[in-house]
Amino acid sequence: MAMTMTGEVQLPASREVVFAKLNDPEVLKACIPGCETLVMSSPTEFQAVAVTKIGPVKARFKGNVHLTDLDPPNGYKISGEGDGGVAGFAKGGATVTLVEKDGGTLLTYNVEAQIGGKLAQLGQRLVNGAAKKTADDFFKNFAAAMNPPA
Amino acid sequence: MASVSMTVNGKAVTGDVEPRTLLVQFLRENLRLTGTHVGCDTSQCGACIIHIDGIAAKACTTLALQCEGAKITTIEGLAEPGGKLHPMQEAFREHHGLQCGYCTPGMIMSALDIVRRNGNNLDEHTIRDQLDGNICRCTGYHNIVKAIEAGAKAMAK
Amino acid sequence: MSATGIGAPVRRKEDFRFITGQGQYTDDVTRPGETRAVFVRSPHAHAKIKSIDVSAARKMPGVIDVLTGAQLATDKIGNLICGWMIHSKDGSPMKMAAHPALAATKVNCVGDAVAVVIAETIAQGKDAAEKVKVDYEVLPAVVDPAKAQAKGAPQIHPDIENNTIYQWHLGEKKDVDAAFAAAKHVTKLDIVNNRLVPNAMEPRAALADYDAGTDNLTLWNTSQNPHVARLVISAFIGMAPEHKLRVIAPDVGGGFGSKIFIYPEEVVCLWASRKVKRPVKWTSDRSEAFLTDAHGRDHVTHAEMALDANGKILALRAKTIANLGAYMSTFSSSVPTYLYATLLSGQYNIPSIYCEVDAVYTNTAPVDAYRGAGRPEATFVVERLVEVAARQMGIDPADLRRRNFITAFPHQTPVIMAYDAGDYNASLKKAMEIADVKGFAKRKREAARRGKLRGLGYSTYIEACGIAPSQAVGSLGAGVGLWESAEVRVNPTGSVEVLTGSHAHGQGHETTFAQLVSERLGIPFENVSIVHGDTDKVQFGMGTYGSRSGAVGMSAIVKALDKIEIKAKKVAAFMLEAAEGDIEFKDGKFTVAGTDKSAAFGDVALNAYIAHKFTGAELEPGLKETSFYDPTNFTFPAGCHICELDVDIETGRVDIVNWTAVDDFGTIINPMIVEGQVHGGIAQGVGQALMEGAFYDAAGQLVTGSMMDYTMPRAHDLPSFHVGLTETKAPSNPLGMKGCGEAGAIASPAAVINAITDAIGTEHIAMPATANAVWAALQKSQAPKAA
Repeated sequence: MAMTMTGEVQLPASREVVFAKLNDPEVLKACIPGCETLVMSSPTEFQAVAVTKIGPVKARFKGNVHLTDLDPPNGYKISGEGDGGVAGFAKGGATVTLVEKDGGTLLTYNVEAQIGGKLAQLGQRLVNGAAKKTADDFFKNFAAAMNPPA
Repeated sequence: MASVSMTVNGKAVTGDVEPRTLLVQFLRENLRLTGTHVGCDTSQCGACIIHIDGIAAKACTTLALQCEGAKITTIEGLAEPGGKLHPMQEAFREHHGLQCGYCTPGMIMSALDIVRRNGNNLDEHTIRDQLDGNICRCTGYHNIVKAIEAGAKAMAK
Repeated sequence: MSATGIGAPVRRKEDFRFITGQGQYTDDVTRPGETRAVFVRSPHAHAKIKSIDVSAARKMPGVIDVLTGAQLATDKIGNLICGWMIHSKDGSPMKMAAHPALAATKVNCVGDAVAVVIAETIAQGKDAAEKVKVDYEVLPAVVDPAKAQAKGAPQIHPDIENNTIYQWHLGEKKDVDAAFAAAKHVTKLDIVNNRLVPNAMEPRAALADYDAGTDNLTLWNTSQNPHVARLVISAFIGMAPEHKLRVIAPDVGGGFGSKIFIYPEEVVCLWASRKVKRPVKWTSDRSEAFLTDAHGRDHVTHAEMALDANGKILALRAKTIANLGAYMSTFSSSVPTYLYATLLSGQYNIPSIYCEVDAVYTNTAPVDAYRGAGRPEATFVVERLVEVAARQMGIDPADLRRRNFITAFPHQTPVIMAYDAGDYNASLKKAMEIADVKGFAKRKREAARRGKLRGLGYSTYIEACGIAPSQAVGSLGAGVGLWESAEVRVNPTGSVEVLTGSHAHGQGHETTFAQLVSERLGIPFENVSIVHGDTDKVQFGMGTYGSRSGAVGMSAIVKALDKIEIKAKKVAAFMLEAAEGDIEFKDGKFTVAGTDKSAAFGDVALNAYIAHKFTGAELEPGLKETSFYDPTNFTFPAGCHICELDVDIETGRVDIVNWTAVDDFGTIINPMIVEGQVHGGIAQGVGQALMEGAFYDAAGQLVTGSMMDYTMPRAHDLPSFHVGLTETKAPSNPLGMKGCGEAGAIASPAAVINAITDAIGTEHIAMPATANAVWAALQKSQAPKAA
């Protein structure tokens, strides 16, 4: 089933810094909830493994992620597909836009995703909530990453 | 594997189970008490209802290990040892409260818990309302409701 | 009437084992050395299988084997089939695509099995299934049948143009068009008959046991018709010769049609058992059931009714698109054709009817017969049209029905069926009395004071049951005959076993069939056992569906009992030293006419076996007779259901406050069981009307895939029902029975929707009429929003 989600988050850093961190595998790995590994295979491609739980379905997703439409420091498109084995699959992407605001950066994201298999069958009513929470957690972590501990 | 001990229908039982083993699997597969049924995998249908220490529970949503030391009653434990049926079992037969029989053990165990919670004088509304955790696909509930009302009364005698 | 004979509300023989937890359902059966099968299923609705890697799964603990569709093909295991041939208007045969039990190259719906793990335990099997790596190339999917027929739609099966299986029609278009052209009034409706998931409470299961010593295969399965399963698995799938395959359907926890069909999993279990040389058991979990049990209904219909100025129906025409899903299930082709269009005359004298049906493949679960099978869809079309026409013409809906009722029998409809008996005015009249229709206006005003909109809806339905005369169904394309068999074995002690080809999965045959035998032979009810569901015991049978077990199955028993009486009279003649023609049989006693000489049934049975009073040359010893009974017509149960309900103005919630069902089932063997069948049927029909609906998203994911999201009626969703009966005997069978299993599900959806639309003042509302949907409709309607 398809889902869409939009949101924005104000970050205390310049667009250049935000954009750099959005391309930094270490930062992404630390910020993606449940991310176990994240390996860059090229500057715009990486492989990730993340554990996700939606309602009664918990699965370890292995996926390939691509970065496209790179337009530093204005934003990019991040898309990918994850295979959760018998739990099903998830695929989709997010357009991320960065604009200067209040001395920092306003990050806007626009997600379109599709899930299938057991995830859709059992978890579909919970998917929007779970996705929102995952996004919230990511950006909370990401905001924290703007100010690395001294 | 972990060891678990409990009392089932008055008999002490022990078994080695994987920690993820559900109570319903332990009852059906280890103890071969196949009267407790599995009708769904989302805790919706109530075919697996048994009593843990006298209170109804869904055996599909309970781990066997959670029942260490507990007293479990299943449908097989309701009739008297001599074979005399429990009044609730008798009422289901008398009022044609079952057709295919698959949901029936869970229905009867659930009915007994409704009586425990509400006493022996049950009205139709209470029964229908509190049978919320059990699904029957055959009877349209009409005769199940009648059976529970009559069974509850018979239990007071 | 005796306390246990025909017409008595005898308590059921089968209940003791069920209420004490001693039923033996397929999953309760175990075999020594049993292994468990876990299927790997596609998460995609439509995809090419690029590769399957089972190497990691094979290394998992407890794994015995991992099998794929490629191996199935290598072993030449045949495809599943649909056994009813339908021809399109242009004379071309229906287009049946290949349906392998395990997909090897392409998956066509979510849940399509691509591999199976055979393991020591279910848990080990599930762990290993996680390790099977399937590389899919995902293809665009189509779930809407109209879209599937459109140009450019994803091609589901090769060489099947527009994904269209057949374009069939019935009736005379020219006559119908002429009648419409001359009509004073035309009512038009667009109707969706929503897709349903049968959800028998016992999930499907299969246990296969291969005996290498004898090369025999035994299958325990959740089947409504084990003999047909054996025939298909043997003759078409080629698993084993028929005499080397035994199929046992033990206690079966409900079927409602969904357990008629031959499914991939039982084929795979048989095949796997032979490969691993151990018993293989598979038990569906409910999540699998939602994806893989054949669904029901799923019609999109445009229907029109032409009437004259007096409300006399002149003609009816309908165009239906039937979604048959990804593959053609066992009897899927017959449901939207001969079980549907043939009932579009309803209870009415309609001179001309024309119906067109397109059957279409989509990337969804297969669709086949579900309780009523075609007849609920027909009833919904006819009863909605009649109701809407009455309202549009300002005629009382009951009155418009009466003006059009068929009152002379036999009546030949323009759509094949010849109704042989019925009294539709009687059932309508009785239902209106029980429902107190006269007091409705007052109750409506009272409800309005409580913020409720009260509505009343009729459904005067008819169905064709007791399927069916073999010659008739053969001429319509059926691959099998639809007779039934019975074997009556009288033991030397006078007790009786009846072996029947019918199969009970909740209907209580062990009781009702024994009532018939008890009454007919004058022996105690307790002395009769009914044996069914085992191909090694019962020679052949067609199983239970289409409300046929009474009208056809019991008629076969009657015929066998007739033969028993003839033979027993010969035995009694030797015993009583009288002429055979002078022997009379009544109340379990053989007497010589005009004398006081008599012999009890038990004595005659014993003498039949000891054979001391006659020689084998005069009479064969023993007392056992068989009958294959082929009915001469369908039966036509009919009746009137009236639904009275309240709609909450604020929330749209519907509460059924009164349900009246008056049915004519012909002769009734056990009224308690018949009423139970009616109750259950109404519940399923109300479920369809108010809450049930299987929905796929555009990508083919089933979003109502569990009991959390697919809403089935619970106790508090339903009222108690008022059930009444009228009776006209069915002339086509010796007992005069018509059948009662499907009536409730056939009648009730139209009654509910007629009542809701009456309450809220709209022409139509789609099923399921959830609170949300009713509320939305209410916002658009002209109904008074408050009292």
